[in-house]
Amino acid sequence: MLMNKDQLFITLEIINQSLQSIRENRLRTTLSILGVTIGIMAVIIVGTISQGGSKVIFSELQTFGLKSLWIFRDHNDDDPNKATRIGTGINNYDLNIIENGCCRSISLITPIVNSSKLSPYINKNGNFSKSAISGVGINYLRINNDKLTSGRNFRKDDITKNRNLIIIGSEIKQKLFPNQASVLGSTLRIESRKFTIIGIIKNKSRDFLSSIGSNSEEDINSRILIPYTTFQSMLGLKKEISLLQAESVSIENAKKAATEITNILDRHHSNKFKYRSETMAQYIETANHILRGVSVIGIIAASVSLIVGGMGIMNIMTTSVIERTREIGLRKAVGAQENHILYQFIIESIFISSIGGFLGLIIGLLGSFLIAILASFPLTPSWEMIVIALVTSIFVGVISGYYPAMRAAKMQPVTALRYD
Amino acid sequence: MINLDNIYKSYHSGENSVPVLSNLSLTIETGEFVAIMGSSGSGKSTLLNIIGCLDTCDQGSYTLENTSINQASNDKLAQIRSKYIGFVFQSFSLIPRISSQKNIELPMIYAGINSKDRQKKSIKLLEQVGLTDRRHHSSAQLSGGQQQRVAIARALANQPSIIIADEPTGSLDTVSGLEIMDIFTALHKQNKTIVMVTHEDDIANYAQRIIKLRDGVIIEDTSVC
Repeated sequence: MLMNKDQLFITLEIINQSLQSIRENRLRTTLSILGVTIGIMAVIIVGTISQGGSKVIFSELQTFGLKSLWIFRDHNDDDPNKATRIGTGINNYDLNIIENGCCRSISLITPIVNSSKLSPYINKNGNFSKSAISGVGINYLRINNDKLTSGRNFRKDDITKNRNLIIIGSEIKQKLFPNQASVLGSTLRIESRKFTIIGIIKNKSRDFLSSIGSNSEEDINSRILIPYTTFQSMLGLKKEISLLQAESVSIENAKKAATEITNILDRHHSNKFKYRSETMAQYIETANHILRGVSVIGIIAASVSLIVGGMGIMNIMTTSVIERTREIGLRKAVGAQENHILYQFIIESIFISSIGGFLGLIIGLLGSFLIAILASFPLTPSWEMIVIALVTSIFVGVISGYYPAMRAAKMQPVTALRYD
Repeated sequence: MINLDNIYKSYHSGENSVPVLSNLSLTIETGEFVAIMGSSGSGKSTLLNIIGCLDTCDQGSYTLENTSINQASNDKLAQIRSKYIGFVFQSFSLIPRISSQKNIELPMIYAGINSKDRQKKSIKLLEQVGLTDRRHHSSAQLSGGQQQRVAIARALANQPSIIIADEPTGSLDTVSGLEIMDIFTALHKQNKTIVMVTHEDDIANYAQRIIKLRDGVIIEDTSVC
């Protein structure tokens, strides 16, 4: 809309008059903005939780490798014959095939051998620690985005020769060798075997996920890794592998990679077993799904309170218009056109709503800040959200101010002047 | 110049339409001071509202300063009022929250006059009605006579050619009423057209022409020299 100088000037005057009216009705204005304040506050807090939450989850999952996927036998087979069959359904021959490049969607693969039977006490000079041992291959660290603070990874011949080597998490090191600067080359006993420490895994952040679950034994920083072949012989497992962990060439290909591996396993074992796969992409999807749910509930709550707030403003504006009927008549008598009156009241309504929105924004940001501190979230002050909040409150102002303002604009001067 | 020709105006009450003005013709020349009189229900206020472009007639034609009012939209009427007409009401109709000076500036705002000029003009107008020292007072801090003087200053804000006054002394004591009429007399001398409704003979006698209405018809139109 183009305005000439006169119109612009009249508009400024009208804004001025609207502000004046708000100043004069402070208490009423304060009461009527509450709904909008609460609504905008809800928008901001929900926005922070869902955005911050998704950032936290994403970044923590990222440290575990976003392209990861796991394949393992599904023991809950529908077919009772299959379900009772013994074995993990995955062995070293399967691994060999996959390692030799059968599956185009896979870039890396590692076997993982776990044991529920062997839950060993690891022992060093009278210090004990109970820990979960995993037998792994040379790609395990890479797939899991793990770095070593010192030492080296397993080599190919460590695996083929079933060497008694061990890589430990930094917390294990802290527990067993609290005062020792370097533990590389030191030995640990698991059962009757002596293992030589060749590497220490760098700590991983687990603030958020650990606050959800996972006990200390399964703690990511207390892992103990040995060559899977060594573990197999310790357990007498005869080349059985508990699960396969792979890295797909891209996040999008994770599902395809899982299917490729499953197909190979099915062929090898003549469909004797049923397999299940999980992908990191799936976890991210699930987490986002939950966050979206939270957002939707929050947005519904915010909308309800914005609608209530809008109705409050409409109510207050209608009252204000009726109260000022004579004034409107007078303004019209001295030359106010319909739009002058319309704008005056809509602007008043927008201001009231915006004050509410602004307060909601401030309270919402403070609330978000508090949540960020309490839940150790990264605080993400997003301009987007602030703009959405302010635009929404202006929108509420226009919508709820329109009807009363229209009513004022359409008043006949004679009738309005006679009103008492 | 005001020219009403065969004006008809009725009000609807329920199913019936009650005629308020019927076939009324009237010409008021520039610079005339006219008093319209009549008992309540005679149609004098309706006539005044039509002349003041606050209301429109159902039939007939109305020409004001060579502009035909008949087909004018609400906004067009507002523009005409802003340009040609100043209003003085019985109840003063000042906006209570703002100062007398701001009240006087109100018509100028809608006429698009900038704030500097508005201030200058409003101070001059306050001087003209003898209220220079009351410029920051709100209406609650002014006496009835003072409020009506502010209202007159407001009516003059856009230098209208016509002043419409609806019982301007109706809410005032005699002394204040006389002060107001002195201002009207002065305005008359400045060649402003003044159309005033009153039911007091004393007040009507300030005018040079008295029109009496009964049942929507002019029954008497006398000029006093």
